[in-house]
Amino acid sequence: MLDELFTEAERQLNICNSCRYCEGYCAVFPALERRTLLAPGDITQLANLCHDCQACFHACMYAPPHEFAVDPPRILSAVRLASYDRYLPPVGWMRPGWPRGWPARAAAALLVGLGLLVLAGAASGLGALWRHGGPYQVVPYPALLVIAALPTAWSVAVMVRGFALYWRDVHGPLRGLADWRALGTALAAAARLRNMRGGGEECYAAGDDPSPARRLLHGAVAWGFAACFAATVAAAFLQDVLGSPPPYPLLSVPVVLGTAGGLSMLAGCAGLIALKRRGGPPGQEVIGQRVIGQRVIEQGVADYGLLFGLGLLALTGLLTLLLRATPVFGLILVIHLATIVVCFAIAPYTRFVHAGYRFLALVADAIEQRRAGSVV
Amino acid sequence: MIGGGNAGLAAALTAGGLVERVLVLDRGPAALRGGNTRHTRNIRCAHSWSDTYSRGTYLFAELWQDLCGVGAGPSNEKLAELTVRESEHVPAWMTGQGVRWQPPLAGTLHLGRTNRFFLGGGKALVNTYHRALAQLGVTVRYGVTVLDLLLDGDRCTGVLTRDGVVPARAVICASGGFEADIGWLRRYWGDAADNYLIRGSADNDGQVLAALYAHGAARAGQERGFHAVAIDARSPRFDGGIATRLDSIPFGIVVNRDGLRFYDEGEELWPKRYAIWGRNVAEQPGQIAYSLWDAKVRGLFLPPMYPPVSAGSVRDLAVALGLSPDALAATVRSFNTAIQPGGRFDPAGLDTCATAGLSPAKSHWAQPLDTPPYYAVPLRPGITFTYLGVAVTEQARVLRTDGSVLRNVFAAGEIMSGNILSTGYLAGFGLTIGHVWGRIAGTEAARAR
Repeated sequence: MLDELFTEAERQLNICNSCRYCEGYCAVFPALERRTLLAPGDITQLANLCHDCQACFHACMYAPPHEFAVDPPRILSAVRLASYDRYLPPVGWMRPGWPRGWPARAAAALLVGLGLLVLAGAASGLGALWRHGGPYQVVPYPALLVIAALPTAWSVAVMVRGFALYWRDVHGPLRGLADWRALGTALAAAARLRNMRGGGEECYAAGDDPSPARRLLHGAVAWGFAACFAATVAAAFLQDVLGSPPPYPLLSVPVVLGTAGGLSMLAGCAGLIALKRRGGPPGQEVIGQRVIGQRVIEQGVADYGLLFGLGLLALTGLLTLLLRATPVFGLILVIHLATIVVCFAIAPYTRFVHAGYRFLALVADAIEQRRAGSVV
Repeated sequence: MIGGGNAGLAAALTAGGLVERVLVLDRGPAALRGGNTRHTRNIRCAHSWSDTYSRGTYLFAELWQDLCGVGAGPSNEKLAELTVRESEHVPAWMTGQGVRWQPPLAGTLHLGRTNRFFLGGGKALVNTYHRALAQLGVTVRYGVTVLDLLLDGDRCTGVLTRDGVVPARAVICASGGFEADIGWLRRYWGDAADNYLIRGSADNDGQVLAALYAHGAARAGQERGFHAVAIDARSPRFDGGIATRLDSIPFGIVVNRDGLRFYDEGEELWPKRYAIWGRNVAEQPGQIAYSLWDAKVRGLFLPPMYPPVSAGSVRDLAVALGLSPDALAATVRSFNTAIQPGGRFDPAGLDTCATAGLSPAKSHWAQPLDTPPYYAVPLRPGITFTYLGVAVTEQARVLRTDGSVLRNVFAAGEIMSGNILSTGYLAGFGLTIGHVWGRIAGTEAARAR
């Protein structure tokens, strides 16, 4: 399957390399032009460098129904998805696909929620759910730590392993990553989503007319996520270093960051979901019979999954804050915690990993660009 | 507007701002709209200013000189001069329509001063123009074939399409050349036309041009005038565009089907010579040639879209290509021994590697073919567009053979390029003609009564 994708990607990219009209759109085409032969590692790198703005597809005179049937965003998207799976642990129930699909996720969330309820009941009595004191009156701190840390540690391990394998395939030894200039360049490109701008033309997520919507919404999700992460770190600092346990006042660092981040994520996720729906239902098109437009940002259910998951995280988090002085606080907290645990546990199996692979692709690209520049 | 390429769209955008109802008929389906403009990437315009995308000035006099330097020079000096003069206004007009620009593409840096590259190439340009047309409220119909113009004396009352009559107060013919009608090409080229590949739209069969001739329109341009380059012989018959071109020629030798060299492969920098190789190959027996190179120069030029034929020896390569091994081996041997010693190879400029006492010579980048594996790609003439068209006035009105004009029939773009181009070609000038004459035709058609 992967070999077929590589063969098809190589066919299309060779046409791209003979044409080069798209080199002003993003980093993918200049990176392609630095290569005359395309090994699987090269194609994997190009696929992860692609931010799927689709400007090249709309500009391509060889796009279907032309017999050359060139559609870089689509084939690179397919290679990218395959590459996520490829860098997952290859054993048994850890195999890709395991936690996919709504039934599996709903069951997992329900299970964890029930587990937390049982735990809460055992530790503080079920009555604790209806009290509205601090969160640890609902779920004791040590239990919470274990419950959250285990899946997180697992996910981090799986993802870091994948990232390391990826880096070795597309670039080389891991020590090459300790390149501060390249890391800085990549960070700047990632923070501004430079490669989603279509060279200034913007992204075609919503159809035939380019707009900055997807880039801005993606920014809202990413920056919101970062703010929520910072809120968690700030809370840990307040609690473990300054010895000030939650709940924190409305104008405290964790609450302000968490609220802003949560709202931003929620708005971003809702907007992206709306944008994807406008772009057309996934998996409906057939290569060779497609009209202009009716495009999908990225195929597959997993992308929606990530958006719904992140949106749910933000929503339950905001509700926890909003309802913290009401009798349902305990219940909503348990739901929020269950969401966190499930989302963290399945992160390596969702599109969440795109952040890591794209960032590494940007780092590798920054190193390549510098080398190419110094040759001239 | 008959035709949805750059000339028709420029005309429609101009007329659309002046009159209420403008209709664009594109013969292709929506997904392939824009005709040959889909395959373009830059435009050559005179400019007295300099910016990120046009580095250094390119004044009227220099563009005029460049135009006079190709082929037999301009066919109609007055109209050619008008084209060059009007070209100065085109980039700003394009920007005003929403066109975005980009620095010259890799491998085309030498064009950075004279030619301006639009972001994403011709299809992106066409998309931008369609967005601007939508804002003006101009209607576009796809998949419409125009069969004839309906004339009442010197006035056109409408056009006959395959789906019926479209009445019109004025008609602009911007439907391109006739290069996709092989039968028409055969009239001037004989059976050789069967071996030509057409780089652009299969719809450019000259139907409207023929209709204009039938209504007494005067000819402009030469019957054999065209812009052609050497492309991969394995390309599709139509619409292969830029990707099928080949950049290997200066790095090796080119032989015909008899295994003989026929032209100096290293005459000039490749971008300055690539446009003559279409004709070079067209003049060879069977209209086929083979570009050969060896492992030494692999990676120095853009890889061909289709993988090259390769072999461990020159003789094996000849067998794989269906050529005579003796003839090819003799050609390579005499080429290798004619190379002057002491040359310094430099792919980036006119270097000192040349042959001596060989005919035809190879003036630059002459290195022996001696490092296996050897590679080859078969070449055919790839026709971009034909020049023979209708004669027009300075207002783009179609002239008749009796010297009168068709009062409300205009022509723009490739269909009238023969007024300006005779035999040679200047990269990016097809779009200049399309835009300049599209704008003139659009303005004049809007005034027509």
